[in-house]
Amino acid sequence: MSDGVEERTRTQLRHGLRIATLLVAGAIVLGLGQANMLRHLDAYEPALAQVAALAALGAVLAGEAVLLVRRRSWGRLRWAAIAVVLAASALSYATLPDGRTSTGVDWLFGAANWAGLVVLLDRPLRTSAAFLLAHEVMALLHLVLFDEPSRGALARFATGSVTVIGFPLCVAVAAAILRSLSAAAEASRREIEQVRVAEAVAAESHRRRQQRFAELSATTIPLLEGLADGSLRPEEPVVQRRCAIEAARMRRLFAESDTVTNPLLHELRHCIDVADRKGVVVELDARGHWPALPVAVRRDLTEAVLIVLATAASRARVTVVGSADLVSVSAVADCGEVDVPSPATPGVRVETLTYDDTVWMEVRWQPTPHPAPQPTS
Amino acid sequence: MAADSAPGSAADELITAVIVDDHAAIAAGVRAWCSEAAPPIDLIDAGDRLADVWTGPGAAADVVIFDLELVPRRPDFGELRRLVDNGRRVIVYSQHTDDATAIKCVDLGALAYLTKREGPEHLVPAIRAAARGEPYTGPSLSGALVADDAPGRPRLSQRETEVLRAWFVSSSKELVAVKLNITVKTVDTYIARVRVKYANVGRAARTKSELVGRALDDGLITLAELNQTVTSL
Repeated sequence: MSDGVEERTRTQLRHGLRIATLLVAGAIVLGLGQANMLRHLDAYEPALAQVAALAALGAVLAGEAVLLVRRRSWGRLRWAAIAVVLAASALSYATLPDGRTSTGVDWLFGAANWAGLVVLLDRPLRTSAAFLLAHEVMALLHLVLFDEPSRGALARFATGSVTVIGFPLCVAVAAAILRSLSAAAEASRREIEQVRVAEAVAAESHRRRQQRFAELSATTIPLLEGLADGSLRPEEPVVQRRCAIEAARMRRLFAESDTVTNPLLHELRHCIDVADRKGVVVELDARGHWPALPVAVRRDLTEAVLIVLATAASRARVTVVGSADLVSVSAVADCGEVDVPSPATPGVRVETLTYDDTVWMEVRWQPTPHPAPQPTS
Repeated sequence: MAADSAPGSAADELITAVIVDDHAAIAAGVRAWCSEAAPPIDLIDAGDRLADVWTGPGAAADVVIFDLELVPRRPDFGELRRLVDNGRRVIVYSQHTDDATAIKCVDLGALAYLTKREGPEHLVPAIRAAARGEPYTGPSLSGALVADDAPGRPRLSQRETEVLRAWFVSSSKELVAVKLNITVKTVDTYIARVRVKYANVGRAARTKSELVGRALDDGLITLAELNQTVTSL
């Protein structure tokens, strides 16, 4: 939000400076310059050349006005416009009466510089400076080559140059400072944003680690404590089963944050992997398509598999049958008595069937017709 | 056709099957399962030579066990169609587990579609069923039928869907029977009815007309049901 405001402020500042410069240039070229030219119209030979030069400068200013209204920059036309300005200068000097450089008759000396500045305002400072220098050199050449300059004429030229170069240069410097300020502001804004993102990421991962730790603390920590203080004996089958279940739970927890196309199958594979390492042959088969499931539902669905596989003796079959309104995960394995999990989310049902030494545990999830009461992140 | 001599007497006589599979280990494994079966099944190994199914001892075999992908990733549905059109009883034995391939094979008239993950406990009963001209639906095919949502699929009853799903999930008909509180024979009946419905909507292959005719004779389906399935298309 605030970035947008800043950006808009910067654009408005630049736009304002552009308008101000155009107004100044307009006043100087079409007011002062034109008045001077008209006052001495009979001194030029021919006068038409001076009118053409004024018209050329006027055309450049009109072009800037149009671009300003359309909020566009000169682009590739920029150098053509500069050429027009310099050509107008050359034309004006060629038809200037002798010994009149940098007097009221030389109206263009104090006007063409502004017309050029208007075109170059959004370029780096050195471009504007180079243009002003070219403008100055052109006038000086005319003075030195075509007039035989008196000491007075040179002094007049020198004092005139102060305003001819100085004022436009001041504007160019202001524009350059404005540009560098906005660039610096942009850079620091980006830096602040990066720091903020990094902080948010760190806070989020810390929160998730704490949450995972809390989730494990209910079941894993007591097991580890029991093993550590000797109250649980690793050779007992019950303890071994608890270890297998906790190992699978931890694997599932790690798999939950992975970005995969089918998180349910991904987490099931991780649960199965633990049994695989024990030497249980597990088949996994999935049919149908199902919508994206919240983490809590996936945990309930995989819990049955996890418990059955932890006690499976030699083989197990894990299947998923899914559709838009029902997802069913089943585990069939040769295992003895199992603890039936109690699902945490509504809409999940567990069915267990024991037949001989085979246990078939099925978890079904049917999304409630109304949206789930608590969305899980 | 030599294959026609088998029906009816298949239970007493030695069943012969021919296997077309380019993997020597598969053929050897199937041969071992067949010889261990009681009564044993005589297996002819055609290797990857389809010609041996049409000529020589392979031509007289009761059942053809056909690897769908002799050329990798190019399932040979054309050859399957030719075999079925010539009255051969075909079991497709494939490494494919995708539903569309399974259902297409059933549509073309294969009596069974088994994946290579399904071992002798499914392949041997499938060969015996095929020798009698009857279909065999393994758990994998059962899963494909449950998940089938193609527009032209036959309309299955809720119970049929339940049985198919349970068979796919548990891979044991006894468990299905216990779970749904029915007998194993009823489980078979429901599965057979589903296959008849599929045979009925598929193209009029010879084995399929046989299937539908037999299902009518045995009372698996009635003429009314047959019409109902057709109009549901």
